[in-house]
Amino acid sequence: MLDLDKLRALAKETISRDDIKYLIGWRQGTYGFRTSPHFVGNLEDAEQLIFSPLCSSNLATYLTLAEKRPVPRGAQPDTRRVAIMVKGCDSRAVVQQLVEQGIKRESVYVIGCPCEGIIDRRKLEEKVPHTLERVEARWENGKIILDLPAGRAAFPRDEIVAGKCLTCRYPNPVIADVTVGEDVEVRGSAGFEDINWLEVKNAQERWAFWRDKVNSCIRCYSCRNVCPMCYCAECILDKLNPAWIQRSVNVSENTAFQLARAFHLAGRCIECGECERVCPVEIPLSHLNRKLVKEVSEQFAFTPGIDPEAKPLLAGYRPNDREAFIL
Amino acid sequence: MKLSKDKLADFLAAIPGKTVFGPQLSGETLRFTPVTRPGNLCPTVNNATVPPKSVVFPQTETMFRFEQGATDIRTAEPSGETVLFGVRPCDARAMSIVDNVFFWDVDDPYYLIRRTNSALVGLACLDPCVNCFCTSMGGGPASTEGLDILLTDLGESYLLEVLTGKGEMLCQSAEKLLSQASSADKEAAKMLQEKAAAQISRQIDPSGIPARLPALWESPIWEKISASCLGCGICTYLCPTCHCFDMQDETEGEESRRYRTWDSCMFSEYTLHASGHNPRPTRRERTRNRINHKFSYFVDKFKVMACVGCGRCINLCPVNIDILDILSQVGEQAL
Repeated sequence: MLDLDKLRALAKETISRDDIKYLIGWRQGTYGFRTSPHFVGNLEDAEQLIFSPLCSSNLATYLTLAEKRPVPRGAQPDTRRVAIMVKGCDSRAVVQQLVEQGIKRESVYVIGCPCEGIIDRRKLEEKVPHTLERVEARWENGKIILDLPAGRAAFPRDEIVAGKCLTCRYPNPVIADVTVGEDVEVRGSAGFEDINWLEVKNAQERWAFWRDKVNSCIRCYSCRNVCPMCYCAECILDKLNPAWIQRSVNVSENTAFQLARAFHLAGRCIECGECERVCPVEIPLSHLNRKLVKEVSEQFAFTPGIDPEAKPLLAGYRPNDREAFIL
Repeated sequence: MKLSKDKLADFLAAIPGKTVFGPQLSGETLRFTPVTRPGNLCPTVNNATVPPKSVVFPQTETMFRFEQGATDIRTAEPSGETVLFGVRPCDARAMSIVDNVFFWDVDDPYYLIRRTNSALVGLACLDPCVNCFCTSMGGGPASTEGLDILLTDLGESYLLEVLTGKGEMLCQSAEKLLSQASSADKEAAKMLQEKAAAQISRQIDPSGIPARLPALWESPIWEKISASCLGCGICTYLCPTCHCFDMQDETEGEESRRYRTWDSCMFSEYTLHASGHNPRPTRRERTRNRINHKFSYFVDKFKVMACVGCGRCINLCPVNIDILDILSQVGEQAL
């Protein structure tokens, strides 16, 4: 079990260092089961830090999202490091950003947080609706304990964690300058059985499935914006001249958008599942991502976001790469 | 008046020559789509994810078509008459608020035709969600503003409150299906409505907000609030009062069309000038704009706040940016 006092003490020590700009962690949200990204700039902020099964956000997104304001003439740019708390999946995003040179190693200070699985808010709210009071949660002996207004409740982990956690093979951060808590057991298997049910369908059935989902897309771009790997300075979706993908919202353009998004993540998606979590119309985007992860794994025996010294999949070449898919 | 639930399908079928829209599953979530089988309607569960503004102000709407090299344009076919069934009082109120914009200096012809051609059959909220705060914004779970008929679910039947001439017309066509409501029915409905209003636990007094916002223009709260903002369009697209749109041309072969489509002040290319300058360059200015537009600019122009307390932006924000939290920060900040 994680000791919050230790975490906050570590945070205070970290932000007191001369080479740290601020620390990104989580805090309790404004109601119910919500938590919020928390930017710790002083000792007082550090008192609100938490780490619990409710800390869903992948904070690695903020490493590239933070806007750089122009440096005033004569002033030196602030090159101090950003400290960031990462779960296993989040740490893979940091590694993949390093591999792609989206960030520099000397610009981040990684606080690893081994994770036994994050609560899927939709699953939990089905069981416990209408919860306004702020709820705290923790992992305990393979269960998730919630301090609900009606009293303490224990849920079997697999009943309320996100789908991504059921297949997770990297619950322990793959990169960390310091680690909070103990390493946890790896429960996910290396297979892709979770997408079997969709793969066995024929092309028409699959299209019927996806057409229905994609038709409900409102193009809010939350899936793109939350993605720690979507950090292009100018996204293809925002281009107006030429407009590769039209602004009009219909099945055709929505499909083009969703396919472009998924394909731009081939060999890059680290399966944090954030796109699926944030989608307001609940499009099961992880099915699409998992299929690409599977192809990359089977074709090239490659897993992104593990080795900071690796080359990006599409920038690497091995003479024995499989070519069976080339027509 | 009273309508037995088993006669709902007949009631909807009796409406002549109008397309009925109602909350139905689209993918995994509810939105207002044309009703082909009344059995698919989901009027009693939570409010629709996409507000019914999408019927009168579609996300993508063709304005006119034209051909390469030709000088004439073909305007889009005017839309027919519609009935929006199962609209929540907050969303109906939002439409009245948005009317201010589209019928301001010039009547917007596209909105005008859809709006005047639509009748709103509301459904009182009897089980408000945790983030509903309509009662703080001048509405309520049984508010009638903007509605032509208000229904209250009495279990086996709906109590009908006819509010306008449009509402009367709808009932006339289905007169045989309706029965007289007893005073006990009316009393029961009143009790349910009051119970629902009492269930709303999130409250705020927003009356001082419009006066405070201009003084907080340069306040550090905006940077703090927007630090976690992802810059996505959830809060604005799903807001029943947000109404910004962009216009684009799309060409397929020889034919082109000009359409308008929802836009969001949270997007980085919103109000981006051709020069590359953007008056709202970062998430700080964009977040500040969202709040100022709803609670300051709109109030200056139309004397009403552009927020009805439906709670969608709170429910669905990926990072728990909570408009009530923002408003209380605005309220508490030293000026």
